[in-house]
Amino acid sequence: MTAAEAAIRTTGLTKEFGRQKAVDGLDLEVPRGAIFGFLGPNGSGKTTTIRMILGLASATRGDIALLGEPMPSALRSVLPRVGALVEGPAFYPFLSGAANLRRLDAADPPSSSRTRSARVTAALDRVGLRHAAGKKVTAYSLGMKQRLGIANALLAPRDLLVLDEPTNGLDPQGTREVRTLIRSLAEEGTTVFVSSHLLTEIEQLCTHVAVMSAGRLVAQGTLDELREVGRSEVRVETPDTAEAVEVLGRLGLVPVAGASGVTAELDGKLLPERVTAALVEAGVRVRGIAVEHQTLEERFVALTGEGFDVAG
Amino acid sequence: MSRAEPVAAPPARAFALLGSELSVLFRRRRTWAMLAALALVPILVGIAVRIRSSSNGPAFLAAISDNGLFVSFTGLTVSIPLFLPLTIGVVAGDTIAGEASLGTLRYLLVAPTGRVRLLLVKYAGAAVFALAAPLVVLLAGVGIGALLFPIGPVTLLSGNTVGIDGFAVRALLLAAYVAVSLLGLSAIGLFVSTLTTVPVGAMAATIVLAAAAQILDTLPQLDWLHPWLFSHYWFGFADLLRDPIAWDSFGQNALLQLGYIAFFGGLAYGRFATKDILS
Amino acid sequence: MNKVSRWLPAAIPAAVIAAAALGVPAFGSAAGARLPEKSADEVLALIAGSSATRFSGTVEQSSDLGLPELPKSARGYSSGADSTSAVLELLTADHTAQVFVDGAERERVQVLDDLAERDLYRNGSDVWIYDSKQRAAHHVVLPEGSGAAPQLSATPAELAEKLLAAVDPTTEVDVATGSVAGRPVYELVLTPKSDDTLVGSVTVSVDSDTGLPLEVAVTARGQSTDAVRVGFTSIDFSAPPADTFTFTPSADTRVTEEELPSGPPEGYAAPDLPSPTVTGAGWDTVVALPVDVLGSAGSSSALLAQLTTPVAEGRALQTSLVSVLFTADGRLLAGAVPVEALEAAAR
Repeated sequence: MTAAEAAIRTTGLTKEFGRQKAVDGLDLEVPRGAIFGFLGPNGSGKTTTIRMILGLASATRGDIALLGEPMPSALRSVLPRVGALVEGPAFYPFLSGAANLRRLDAADPPSSSRTRSARVTAALDRVGLRHAAGKKVTAYSLGMKQRLGIANALLAPRDLLVLDEPTNGLDPQGTREVRTLIRSLAEEGTTVFVSSHLLTEIEQLCTHVAVMSAGRLVAQGTLDELREVGRSEVRVETPDTAEAVEVLGRLGLVPVAGASGVTAELDGKLLPERVTAALVEAGVRVRGIAVEHQTLEERFVALTGEGFDVAG
Repeated sequence: MSRAEPVAAPPARAFALLGSELSVLFRRRRTWAMLAALALVPILVGIAVRIRSSSNGPAFLAAISDNGLFVSFTGLTVSIPLFLPLTIGVVAGDTIAGEASLGTLRYLLVAPTGRVRLLLVKYAGAAVFALAAPLVVLLAGVGIGALLFPIGPVTLLSGNTVGIDGFAVRALLLAAYVAVSLLGLSAIGLFVSTLTTVPVGAMAATIVLAAAAQILDTLPQLDWLHPWLFSHYWFGFADLLRDPIAWDSFGQNALLQLGYIAFFGGLAYGRFATKDILS
Repeated sequence: MNKVSRWLPAAIPAAVIAAAALGVPAFGSAAGARLPEKSADEVLALIAGSSATRFSGTVEQSSDLGLPELPKSARGYSSGADSTSAVLELLTADHTAQVFVDGAERERVQVLDDLAERDLYRNGSDVWIYDSKQRAAHHVVLPEGSGAAPQLSATPAELAEKLLAAVDPTTEVDVATGSVAGRPVYELVLTPKSDDTLVGSVTVSVDSDTGLPLEVAVTARGQSTDAVRVGFTSIDFSAPPADTFTFTPSADTRVTEEELPSGPPEGYAAPDLPSPTVTGAGWDTVVALPVDVLGSAGSSSALLAQLTTPVAEGRALQTSLVSVLFTADGRLLAGAVPVEALEAAAR
């Protein structure tokens, strides 16, 4: 297995429930070592995709390669190297936090029972839950359960972590801690796949991002790539609006004249300096020119047709 | 990097999940409540006979006042039609549906526990409970019997007597017989449990089936069906209290239950092996 | 995974069970096909020279007399000791017993009831009869050297003897082969020549090796299933363990010592024993007794009304093998004939 191979690669991944397509032709590629943000509004098919990647649900069509091996046929050899938090933490409420982790650790075939306690303690330490190890989970707060869920994903050294909404229910302090934890895991070489409906979280944490909308992948790449690809607008401040409109029209833009100037959407190929040069050449009195990039948020709203819950 | 892939987990690790399953099962307050309720059956029988002895009632009742050890047999007779199937229904119906409703099913599967392995471990847990339940009834019966009545050599159905050691052997055989009797119902419960994420529904369905089978077994018009009902040999445990023991019913019962295990185990596999875990 | 193949683990046991349920009887009947042919006389000689003096096995008795079937009382609970319902239970329910024989003087019959047992022990001159429901034992000491013993239930050997005694010009006798308790047998099939009897045929199955009758089955005329069948479902010809025949009553058992009358005592006269009147012969025999059942029915009249149907002469009980007529003038007629024949005999 080479490091160049993707941690997760899906081709044409489709899941149908009856006639409804929950996931439609997904081609996802998560590079190794990335902190990969999987962004989309609730109900866009993120969790269904994660279930298929982890072998919980079967794909109607398409292929999945997890750490270079096909899923679900190589499930038994791949999943021990994958830690997961899927659709919120789930535990036996009548068992303590540590007992819950021991139970799930015993379910992992390669894990040795001799080192189980040490691994459980280490995982609890890592999420700062050691003080509550002996407490029954029914007495845990939502945030504590969330941390315990992350601890479960960290029971063994993992090549890939799949974390579905990892900061759900955490207070700002806890959110920061989880973010730090994810960064440090990535520094150790673990690929982290984080799904979220929170743009701010993805923006602060991730190196790569993919955007889901209504079951389809609408964008995928590094965070910078996505920022650049976004729509930008040139605004020219000028009293000669009619001339400016004509010049911009000749450049292939669709200008809109305003009271104090002209605005036009820039397509990716046309550089702002050429616009300036053309205006000056035509004798348009340019009092000011500005190029405004869309914010990431505006870009995602445009992609998904839905607003993001920025406040969480 | 690549970790050596364990083709077959070493035995100690293969049994780790079973150990964990049993510890989860027997750490639940609900399990203990059910075992306590089962223990209450012979205790109530013993107390009732102590207060007012009667000769008309469940089998072995009349013998209790002479020999307290018979409380255990009466307790078992009374528990078999209702209380034991009830507790088995709860445990077997909860196997998969309970994990699904807690959400822990998805974490067990991504751990990863193979789906077949999980079914086997879950079924083994239910089977251990099926053995523990009649043992609790018998032990509680012996305890309360020894407390309230004189005890001594036990008269078997054939009229001959066995000593306390002989009684202990027979009681263990009885527990094994009843446990085997409940394995078919456990397999049905396991299958029903794979159909739903609502454990109470699976439990209720299993218990209703146990009651239905017993009702069908009393209708003479359906006598062709009787040997196929999983409850048909439930009372055959008495054959172990004969001298010599009539092993026929033990063998027939075991064969019948094996058939139920194979069929409903197969159905459970068919349902669960490719089921989408969406809870 | 293939959508169909995942159901294989369920389909395979279902197929195996179905095959076993349907295939085993066919397989069993094939076992008897290889026996050399024997005439009826030779089969009777085989029975007479039976070499089986020690064996143990399970005997099952089943009846399908066409009587109304009553739902079983809740199992595990003793029903009231009503003699009429006990008789009904005997007629309609199936019974299983384990039989152990070691020579002429050691016998054991274990009637396996639901959560109860009735036992006959014979060890030399000691005979014990035990009933677990009553927790009572009866003890009889036989005089030295006596062979016959009282029986709780007839063994196939005895029934065969009785039935073969009836082989006379009224009966067609055929020999077939078959299999009982997994052993190849000769089947002695007795078919009444008379058209007036309810009995269709009587089949005695004789073990081809030892000559021990293993099964007796009686079929009613026009019925495909056996009306009455007594036979071994398993048999083992090795000597049973010696402690099978010994009985020691426990401290809480009521023991009744029975005296065996050595002969009719002086001045003994059967006081009210009614003398039967016999009409007809062979399979059509009708027995009449002066017993006023209808007049003395009393408490069980409801059950009597449920079981019998009114006819011109009184009330009749019709089973597939035997009819009983209770006449209004205080007689009881019975025979293996239709009720009409009894009515004719009663006139």
